[in-house]
Amino acid sequence: MSEVQRRKYSQEEKTAIFDGEFMPHIDSMYNFAFRLTFDEDDAKDLVQDTYMKAFRFINSFEQGTNAKAWLFRILKNSFINEYRKKSKQPAKVDYQEVETFYNSDDVDYQSTTDLRAESVKDMLGDEISNALNALAVDFRTVIILADLEGFTYEEMAKILDIPIGTVRSRLHRARNLLKDQLKEYAQSMGYNTDEEEED
Amino acid sequence: MEINDQASGERKLQCDDVSKCFQLLESILDGELGDSGKEVLKDKLAKCQPCFEHFHLEQAIRDVLKTKCTKQPVPTELADSIRQMIQESK
Ligand SMILES: [Zn+2]
Repeated sequence: MSEVQRRKYSQEEKTAIFDGEFMPHIDSMYNFAFRLTFDEDDAKDLVQDTYMKAFRFINSFEQGTNAKAWLFRILKNSFINEYRKKSKQPAKVDYQEVETFYNSDDVDYQSTTDLRAESVKDMLGDEISNALNALAVDFRTVIILADLEGFTYEEMAKILDIPIGTVRSRLHRARNLLKDQLKEYAQSMGYNTDEEEED
Repeated sequence: MEINDQASGERKLQCDDVSKCFQLLESILDGELGDSGKEVLKDKLAKCQPCFEHFHLEQAIRDVLKTKCTKQPVPTELADSIRQMIQESK
C-alpha cells in the first residue's frame, strides 16, 4: 500500500500482475465508481483512469498484498482529485462539515431508531440502493467498502487515509443515517416500525 | 452466525452500557473480533434485550446491503478498452 518503490517488474511480470491481480476487480471497481458518480460515462472514465494509473505505478504495488484495496485507494483518490469537482451530481454536504458537526459530541451509540429488523428484511433492492445513494458521499463510501465489498477496518483505513477509529465511528454514523432513510421508507410504505411496542 | 434465540422475558430491558455494548456488537458484526467475540456475543444476546434488538437490526442492515443492493452491469467494452489503452501507452 505504501508508495515506496521496490524492485522493478519485468514486462512479463507487469502483464501477469495486471491481468491476474488487477483486472479481476473490474466489476467491483465499476460499481464503486458508479456509486460515487451516479453516471455511467464518469464511472467508465474513472475506472479507465484508475487502471492506467495502476499500470503506470505498478512498481509500487507489492505482489501478494491486497490488490483490490490498492486499486480502490487509487480510484478513491482520483475521484476526490478530479471527478468530485466536475461531477454532474449536485454538490452534497462535504463529510468534513458533516463530521465536524457530529463530532461536537462523542459518537452516540444510543439506539437512534425504532426501525425493526423485520421491516428491513422486507425491503426491496431498489429501496436499499436508494437509501444508500441518498447518503453524503463519504458516508456512502464507508458502507460500500464495508458491506458491499467486505473490506476490513484496517483496509478501509488505508484506502481512505484515515485512522481506524475514524473508520469505526464514520461507519457507525453512516449506518445510523441509513437507518433513518430506511425508517422513513418503512413508514411511507406502511411497514411495521414501532407501533407494536408498548412501554 | 448462529444466534440462540431466547424468550425476551428472560432478558434485562435496560442495557448497562449501551455505548460500549453497541460498539462491541458492531465490531463483531463487522468481523473485527474473530472468535473471541462469539462468547461475549452469546452472553449479551441472552441477557440484554436492547443488545439483542440492536444486534438483529444491525445484522439485517448488513444482510440486505450485501445481498439486495442493485448491481450495475459493467459495460462490455470496458475491459477491452482498458487493455487497449495500456497497449498504446507501452
Ligand atoms: Zn446490553
